[in-house]
Amino acid sequence: MADRIEGVKKLFTSKSARIDTNRGDAHYETLFQACHARIEELKTQTPREDRLKIDDLLEDQGVSRRDFMKWASAVTGMLMLPSSFTPLVADAALLMNRAPVIWIELSDCAGNTEAILRSDGPKIDEILLDIISLEFNETIMSASGHQAEKQLEDAMHTFKDKYLLFVEGAIPMGIDGNYGTIGAHAETFYDHLMRISKHAAAVVAVGSCATFGGVPAAAPNPTQAVGVMDILKGKPLINIPACPANPANMVGVIIHYILTGQIPELDSLLRPKFAFGYRIHDNCERRAHFDAGEFVEEWGDEGAKNNFCLYKVGCKGPMTFNNCSIVRYNEGVNWPIGVGRGCIGCSEPDFWDKYAYERPMADANIKAPTGGVEKTVDEFGLGLLTAAGIGIGIHAAASLAAGKKEESGES
Amino acid sequence: MKPKYKQVKRMTTFMRINHWVVAICMVAAVITGLYIGHPYYQTYIADPAVDKYVMAWNRWIHFMVAIIFDVSSIVIAYLYFFSRFEKPYKKLIPTPANIKEFFEVLLNLVTLNRRKKFDSTHSDSFNTVFFLVFHLMLVWMLLTGLQLYVHGLASGLSSIGNWWPWMLHLVTDWTVPVSGWLIGTAAPTASIMDVRISHHLTMWLIITWVLFHVYYQVWRTVFWEEGDISIVVGGSKFVKEDQA
Repeated sequence: MADRIEGVKKLFTSKSARIDTNRGDAHYETLFQACHARIEELKTQTPREDRLKIDDLLEDQGVSRRDFMKWASAVTGMLMLPSSFTPLVADAALLMNRAPVIWIELSDCAGNTEAILRSDGPKIDEILLDIISLEFNETIMSASGHQAEKQLEDAMHTFKDKYLLFVEGAIPMGIDGNYGTIGAHAETFYDHLMRISKHAAAVVAVGSCATFGGVPAAAPNPTQAVGVMDILKGKPLINIPACPANPANMVGVIIHYILTGQIPELDSLLRPKFAFGYRIHDNCERRAHFDAGEFVEEWGDEGAKNNFCLYKVGCKGPMTFNNCSIVRYNEGVNWPIGVGRGCIGCSEPDFWDKYAYERPMADANIKAPTGGVEKTVDEFGLGLLTAAGIGIGIHAAASLAAGKKEESGES
Repeated sequence: MKPKYKQVKRMTTFMRINHWVVAICMVAAVITGLYIGHPYYQTYIADPAVDKYVMAWNRWIHFMVAIIFDVSSIVIAYLYFFSRFEKPYKKLIPTPANIKEFFEVLLNLVTLNRRKKFDSTHSDSFNTVFFLVFHLMLVWMLLTGLQLYVHGLASGLSSIGNWWPWMLHLVTDWTVPVSGWLIGTAAPTASIMDVRISHHLTMWLIITWVLFHVYYQVWRTVFWEEGDISIVVGGSKFVKEDQA
């Protein structure tokens, strides 16, 4: 009976957004021991590439040890762990070059890569992503062509079943996947992803395109683009959506993996709950204006000047799960609502169709009015033609019948 | 000779109170719900800050009437089976008699009372099915509404204990994939926006239902001449002696 109750509980709760921020001392004590043992073991391993020393790198960028520890305690909080884990998180960050990462790009704009590379001045999150053992990344590697392919083969062979595969971009499924091909052999994105993910320890889909299809999958989705979760089965998969994904959340996932050897707890859309367990709305700095009913009515009005709530100009914070309102972007510099722009729900599925319009949902045409000009005209025309055809048919049949009656002299 | 009329009891005091509580709640829920969906009046910017709680009051009223609605629904669901007055489920079982009555009442409506071959003394199968549709829509509003609500109880905490958000997740999380299916979203990527759209659309369906309900009760009163409209006020209607 007990395991049946457990089974029912699991059925209903395993895929919810519910988060448990306090699991009791016993749980954290066991977890601490496990993580500690794992970190000690990782320390004995030598990294494959040891050219970049994290301590030197941080010092070069003017990050003091104290800043680093402040950052470590913030990440501990973000991962919803007790403060006693802070030293372990700091250790895990220093061991990030033990995690081999292969990063591939599919149907995308490289925006997630750019978000890491082009930050205003590298902060700790970005520096850490510099020193992960990045074995392959098309955007930033110097090799190209056959050389690059060889590099990929090498990395896949050396770290078989151990590497983390980061995927950026959607997968076009139309015309047998031929909307997107890569490399000298014109391998389709689909085959590319399947081949590389086969021997990955886990797959991390980064950005809205890789997670849910994003902009390439927006209506009418001509290339039939889909996210990784739609086609990849039987592999641990973590989604880190948003456009671009927040480097803080990428680091959080990698640190969690190094710390525990496991992927973090995920919600129904496979997003880590530590980052996507809350709505933007729950921690928004403009929330008080929402409750007060003080809204920006149009861009640049008196309300906008007073930082009023952006709900009426289409902010989707109340429906969007992400931690932007807590961690912001670029190490806390700012974020969309902070600049007065409103949330477009970029970390939610179908955000381009269902979230990114500058008015409340109640006012929105989720699709183009009438469903698209040509589309409805064609459908209407075909319908009208069919109706006319049926009418002519009935009339003709009736006329024929009547004609026969006339001939037989009945009328 | 003037036809003699007999009084027939149709609604108990509790049923009538419930009807009007639900009716008032619904009007309040629609007024505040439309505001939550799109704040259609402005807060005066010149008001002192202390007076401003406009959206919060709207949400408070919306949730309050929703909770009254929810509890009322549970009572009504109970009465479907265990009412000591009339058990509505008996009219919902598709027995030949019920199916015949259903179509006879429908024909009565579409023929504008030119055909009336059923007993209009008691609650009929057509109206009971019609009410069932309403109750199912209400249950859907209840579940989708609570799903949208529970995310405001961040960290799984609430003023009445952690069991409440836990239970809400337990009983309403399935509305996310079902809403996705209703809206036409591919299964794995259904999200809370689908629930929101579904909640909003169902409101319009319920308003449509109410329009027809009011029209139909007035229509019955006018065409049947049995005083049906007074059922919901006085609890009874009048039927001609020879019919009853």
